[in-house]
Amino acid sequence: MEFSHDRSGDTLVVNASGRVDGSNASDFLESLQGMFDPGDQRIILDLGGLEYISSAGLRVLLMAAQNLDKQNKSFSICSLTEAVGDVFRISGFDQIINVFPSVEDAKQG
Amino acid sequence: MTDTYKILVVDDEPDLEPLILQRMRRQIRSNEYEFVFARDGLDALEKLNADSTIDMVLSDINMPKMDGLTLLQQLPDVDPNLRAVIVSAYGDMDNIRTAMNRGAFDFVTKPIDFDDLKITISRTLEHLAEWREALSSRDQLVALQNELSIASQLQQSILPTIPPVTEGCEVSANMEPARNVGGDFYDYFRLDNQIGLVVADVSDKGIPASMFMMSSRTALKGAAIGVRDPEKVLTEVNSQLQQDNPTFMFVTLIYALYNPETGLLTYSIAGHDPPMLVSADGTVTELPLTKGIAVGIAADVVYTQESVTLEPGDTVVLYTDGVTEAMNADNQQFGMDRLAEVFAGNSPESATSANEAVFERVRIFAGDAPQSDDITCLTLRRP
Repeated sequence: MEFSHDRSGDTLVVNASGRVDGSNASDFLESLQGMFDPGDQRIILDLGGLEYISSAGLRVLLMAAQNLDKQNKSFSICSLTEAVGDVFRISGFDQIINVFPSVEDAKQG
Repeated sequence: MTDTYKILVVDDEPDLEPLILQRMRRQIRSNEYEFVFARDGLDALEKLNADSTIDMVLSDINMPKMDGLTLLQQLPDVDPNLRAVIVSAYGDMDNIRTAMNRGAFDFVTKPIDFDDLKITISRTLEHLAEWREALSSRDQLVALQNELSIASQLQQSILPTIPPVTEGCEVSANMEPARNVGGDFYDYFRLDNQIGLVVADVSDKGIPASMFMMSSRTALKGAAIGVRDPEKVLTEVNSQLQQDNPTFMFVTLIYALYNPETGLLTYSIAGHDPPMLVSADGTVTELPLTKGIAVGIAADVVYTQESVTLEPGDTVVLYTDGVTEAMNADNQQFGMDRLAEVFAGNSPESATSANEAVFERVRIFAGDAPQSDDITCLTLRRP
């Protein structure tokens, strides 16, 4: 897993790449949440560089999404590759977490 | 383990005892160290055998009856966790080397520099404490591994092993867990004259996943006995599992109901890969998805169902992503296409051979690459 992030105003865009599976899912969540500032109101997770996500990875995304939802903050993911998009579509997670084609769309949304 | 370390000093020189007691009086008064004394190796062994609370030995080399180097050799038999420090004449490298080779932890030279001795003793005891800590962690790990292996056996034991024997129906299923305790499961059971079939994959693996798996399985079987329509079964299971789920565990699954008399298979999918149909002529198709998402993550989910009629010789393959996402050494995934190729133009002769073929192909594909996910496959064939 590799991360980078970019903050402008109250919007935080996090880029995650690599693989998320059972072996690193909790590290993934920890790294992701470690990037949040109290002032961030909108978090966009750009998964354009993500090659693979397992159900363990989906679970930690769900945890992050629900935590942010409790704090009335917006969370969305974007730029899914075809393989990762399939995982979201088949599992139905695209109905639970906001998914956008690109970072720009996510910012509009 | 007590807070006071007990140190056995072995020396034939009677003057050493009062000297040590005097120089170490502060450590003795504060209960940091306690000293016991022996005059030769044999005496030392007797004292060690009589008192198992001695932590460390500080021994001279040249002594009557039994010398320090011989004593060193005997120590592991008394207690392999004892630590020994040797006192030798300055520059006596031969004996020092021999002592180190025989397991001495460190050495000090004569005449004893008490500042150096204090540092050496405290370093030795620190090492001993770390060693004991490591031993205790290892013991805990062994205990944990034993529990894991029991959990694994328990989990394997709840998977059914004797498929329903009915005219018009062959079922075969297998699950290979990736770690000790997996998150996949399958199930099959009779419901009057029909057969209920389940393949499921709980998010993540290990003990928490296996506990969630147990409750999913129970909820599903319970719901299936109550209502027949697969879509209603999944709606019921979801509302049960979703209610109290603080860990955000979820399960993707297919529940199917098969009528052996008519060949009608009705299924509903909760966020899982759709079943694969292998027709008698070897045509492979993916059955349509139904509406619905993984069970356990949201309230009031609408599930729908689809039906397909199996003709004689048709086989339906239900599997988890452990099959399609099995990796080889080049980080390639087994994938849907390879799964389809197992059967393309090669319709299986029985449910068992179909199931074995899937596992066989995945095994060959993965080669030596480690298995990262549970692999589950259930095959249903209309003979």
